[in-house]
Amino acid sequence: MALASTVTEELRRIVGRESVIDSPNDLRIFERDASIEGAMPDAIVLASTTEQVAAVVKVAAKNKVPVTPRGAGTGLSGGAVTIRGGIALQVSRMRRIIEIDPVAQTALVEPGVVNQELSLAAAQHGLFYAPDPSSQKACTIGGNAAENSGGPHCLYYGVTTNHVLGMEVVFADGSVHWVSGDSPERVGLDLCGVLVGSEGTLCAITKIKVRLLRIPPSIATMLAAFPTIEAASQAVSAVIGRGIVPAALEMMDNVTVGAVEAHYHAGYPTDAGAVLLVEVDGVPESTTELIASIRKVLGDHEGYALREAQTPSERELLWAGRKGAIGALGRIKPNYYLHDGVVPRSRLPQVLSAVGEIGQHYRLPVANVFHAGDGNLHPNILFDLRERDIMHQVEGAGEEMLRAVVEFGGALSGEHGIGLEKSAFMPWIFSPDDLDAMHRVKDVFDAGGIMNPGKIFPDPSRKTVHLAGRTGLAIEARWW
Amino acid sequence: MVVNDPHELRGKAVGSPGPLKKAPAVEKPRTAEELAQTLKDASASRSAVVPAGGGRARGMGGAPERCDVELHTTRLDRVLEHSQADMVVSVEAGIALEALQHELGKAGQFLPLDPFNSPGHTVGGLLATGWTGPLRLRFGSARDYLIGIRVALPDGSLASAGGRVVKNVSGYDLMKLHHGALGTLGVIVAASFKVFPKPLHDASVESEDGWAAAERALAAPVTPVALELFSDGRVLARFMGSPEAVKRTVGELGWAHASHSVWPEHAMRAPQSWGRIAVPRHDLRRILDSLPRGAEWWASPGVGIAHWSIDTDVDAVREVRAAVEAVHGSLVLMSAPEELVRAVGAWGTPPETLDVMRRLKQAFDPNGILNPGRFVY
Repeated sequence: MALASTVTEELRRIVGRESVIDSPNDLRIFERDASIEGAMPDAIVLASTTEQVAAVVKVAAKNKVPVTPRGAGTGLSGGAVTIRGGIALQVSRMRRIIEIDPVAQTALVEPGVVNQELSLAAAQHGLFYAPDPSSQKACTIGGNAAENSGGPHCLYYGVTTNHVLGMEVVFADGSVHWVSGDSPERVGLDLCGVLVGSEGTLCAITKIKVRLLRIPPSIATMLAAFPTIEAASQAVSAVIGRGIVPAALEMMDNVTVGAVEAHYHAGYPTDAGAVLLVEVDGVPESTTELIASIRKVLGDHEGYALREAQTPSERELLWAGRKGAIGALGRIKPNYYLHDGVVPRSRLPQVLSAVGEIGQHYRLPVANVFHAGDGNLHPNILFDLRERDIMHQVEGAGEEMLRAVVEFGGALSGEHGIGLEKSAFMPWIFSPDDLDAMHRVKDVFDAGGIMNPGKIFPDPSRKTVHLAGRTGLAIEARWW
Repeated sequence: MVVNDPHELRGKAVGSPGPLKKAPAVEKPRTAEELAQTLKDASASRSAVVPAGGGRARGMGGAPERCDVELHTTRLDRVLEHSQADMVVSVEAGIALEALQHELGKAGQFLPLDPFNSPGHTVGGLLATGWTGPLRLRFGSARDYLIGIRVALPDGSLASAGGRVVKNVSGYDLMKLHHGALGTLGVIVAASFKVFPKPLHDASVESEDGWAAAERALAAPVTPVALELFSDGRVLARFMGSPEAVKRTVGELGWAHASHSVWPEHAMRAPQSWGRIAVPRHDLRRILDSLPRGAEWWASPGVGIAHWSIDTDVDAVREVRAAVEAVHGSLVLMSAPEELVRAVGAWGTPPETLDVMRRLKQAFDPNGILNPGRFVY
């Protein structure tokens, strides 16, 4: 449904004629993010300033038009998909790094700043921004804050919410506010903490103040092969059980390793059941000592072909394999559906074996790449969209995998968000009272329901949720 | 359960240093459901409820306008589940921090929370107040490792958020909503935490050389996990990590060795009257230099927080607060004589988002039964 011409005209007055796009062909570009489902917006508004964002939201509120803020569109849960139409509020033009304060070790950025650009700019001061999603070459800090994004190095450093000090936000009435800031304590409720990760459903983000960390003087990266995922998982627990929390602890299964090696020639052992990528950082004494301890623990747990990166370029190559793993999987099938679930770390072997069985049942190849230290798994269902009825199979398999995650005491998403993709599954882990508490928050911030509607909360009109069988029992068994 | 024994009531009125019109009923529920029911009943009768854990932060905030029911969480003191392999622990809110640390210690783990006015804090109390200690420098506050929460709401419902996994973006982060809300939106009944392995090496050192020493230690290649500076120039630093790296750093600093007991001793600190100054960390020195002559304080310069033992008149407190707020910081009274709290207010200037906070309060506690008058709204 197109917007009323008066609304479009108002939007054009705010951002300029060229910055409102509403021709069907152009709209199609913004139909999707990096998830499966798409929906056309009625208009795309390219904002350049906080004032413009505020004015656009005001117009939307007045006319009861949905607004969905959008960064780079790399999200994996449909957070930026305009499922109820309305305005896609594109902030990628707001890409100024306003300030890097090397003394305070903070940066103030606009939401469209690309994650990696911030770390590159900070590097001039010997600093870096810790959360590093695999899409960091493209994804924006605004999107990261809206989704509370993670990344491989979050094992030690924490996720986005641990690094956002404050934000300038636009509420659903178009008013502009700062929440928190660079003082370590605020007075009153922690609105900033609630807004980070709220997936654009409570506010639009127009500035973000983040913490920067000192680049560690020494980094050691090690690759180890294991005969099975179980063995690798036990090695992970053993490392952490020794009191060592590495900066990153990543695992790839045999399917992934095969594809990555064929693509990157990074020297991954293709016969391995699983490959672990371990990284520690700190002062040289510390990394030398830690990597020696880790080497021993991995060796004691069936690890073989242990290899430490000897040069920065070797390290980069090892990481290129991990961060580019999803792309490399294109060698197996042209399409993929990347899932995200998180379980208590000790449950990883069990849940991965369940995931494998589900893949076999649906006759779909599944490749696993995951943040083993966090218990955050990413089963990747590979398929060819040209096969008849394949999406039905893919979605069925994905849903069963998530059920397995929940059965093992896990949560629906570790870092991708709920968005559109998983909103129907929320009752699997949250009771009506839990969801009601979240609804109260939503209603306080956005009583009119214009901010990114159709996300996070189950929408009965879209999907039927089956709370039965083993999953139902698992939920009942939860002590809370 | 209601306790009416006057001996038990005496001296237990939490929150208000002044006399109350009528002794409040004391409730000590044994289950979360019982606690929720107490809130539901209080909502129905419009009774004011003052939740209490260990009572270590009873002086924080404005004096409650009313207190009909003192709601103690101390009988909710179980460890619900400690999964050593996952390094996750779930506890009821009334458990004492020391009891939790003891349980974790058996598995070589710990929660990096070391608040002042210890011992005796409950976990729920610490979450409600948001209090922290020296280890905040490395580990952040409980906000950073609180991964799940269960809260009894004034309508009698029990709402959970988060879970028992260390990384989770399923639904709104309501852990943040209740952390530091001083029990004004609901009463925390259970919480789950990401816990940490005891470090390979843990060393403490001290110096008498004040700011210069503190700044040098903070710039060391291995950052201290805690660094405390005192108004008399004493500096305490703690390093954790791989033995070689810690030994080298400590060696290069050349400070005197300090015993580990300095930390629990330091954590006992709680003057009669004290306030917490929080500012961007590069402003802290200037602010502390401007305190009245002879002022006693201790600070975490790497964080930007200082605790000031207030022994001065109302005007001086007002001046300090004005200076602190000028750099977007805050001066919050942790405990102070009633006259001072009344004269300057416990919290200072409310944030410009106060209206949203009030609406959140209204959404969760429409009858205003929880801690009326104690928080900023």
